[in-house]
Amino acid sequence: MAHVSIAGDDLIVEVEGLDKLWALKSRLTVPLANVRGATADPGIVREPKGVRSPGTHVPGVIVAGSFYTEGERVFWDVRDRDKAIVIELGDEKYARLVIEVDDPKETVDMIEKAVQHRHS
Amino acid sequence: MGAAAELFALHSYDGTSVDDLVNHLGVHRGSLYKTFGSKRGLYLRALHRHVDDDVAALARAVAGAEDQAQAVGLVLAAGPRLGLLFHAMVERAPVDPAAAAETTRALALLDAATGAEGLTALALGQLLRRRGTGAMPQQREGESSWHTSASPVTT
Repeated sequence: MAHVSIAGDDLIVEVEGLDKLWALKSRLTVPLANVRGATADPGIVREPKGVRSPGTHVPGVIVAGSFYTEGERVFWDVRDRDKAIVIELGDEKYARLVIEVDDPKETVDMIEKAVQHRHS
Repeated sequence: MGAAAELFALHSYDGTSVDDLVNHLGVHRGSLYKTFGSKRGLYLRALHRHVDDDVAALARAVAGAEDQAQAVGLVLAAGPRLGLLFHAMVERAPVDPAAAAETTRALALLDAATGAEGLTALALGQLLRRRGTGAMPQQREGESSWHTSASPVTT
């Protein structure tokens, strides 16, 4: 489970509780300028995650840590797929964060409100 | 983008999952996120293009109509292609200012073409009635709105 908040010009993702043990890093701070959007996406849990770098994976129970897939590094921390959200980043160590939050819809709306989408 | 617009037009924004988009668009999830940032990012792009293409084409046709009855008839004829706009006005515009900006832009295009808000309202009201009675089939998947000429008027 993760908690997402916005402080000033930053998006802050805190990985809570026991998951700290699994995902190695418990707090990520990303400038909002590098946040490209957020989406509730339960289906992503069924996707191949690629090669795991340090972190851990207990099959069928917890997916946590950072994974490399198609040249991208993706941070995962999901137990309950129904609460999975995807936060897309740009110019960051991670291409995207796939995390579990208590209130996917509210969290996604909050992030999307803070992000300007361009129509090019 | 056209395939995404069709999904949103048929199933609404909330009714279209990322699984639906990935399956119908035939793209990797990663590239969908990389390109659009989020489902909402993709939706807003699709809506923007819908207004630029379908609504603008309809507005051009309506502007060339000979009388009000023909103008209303053109809007009704375009109905099956306007599912995305209708869903956006009802579902997204009240909760998403970026979507509201697009639907407002669409209405302004139609108002400029009809020359009167009242006439736009009459035409859209007639469309809504048809949808409400099930007499307006929605555009089916495969009938891409992007490749269909929306210029039924011959001048």
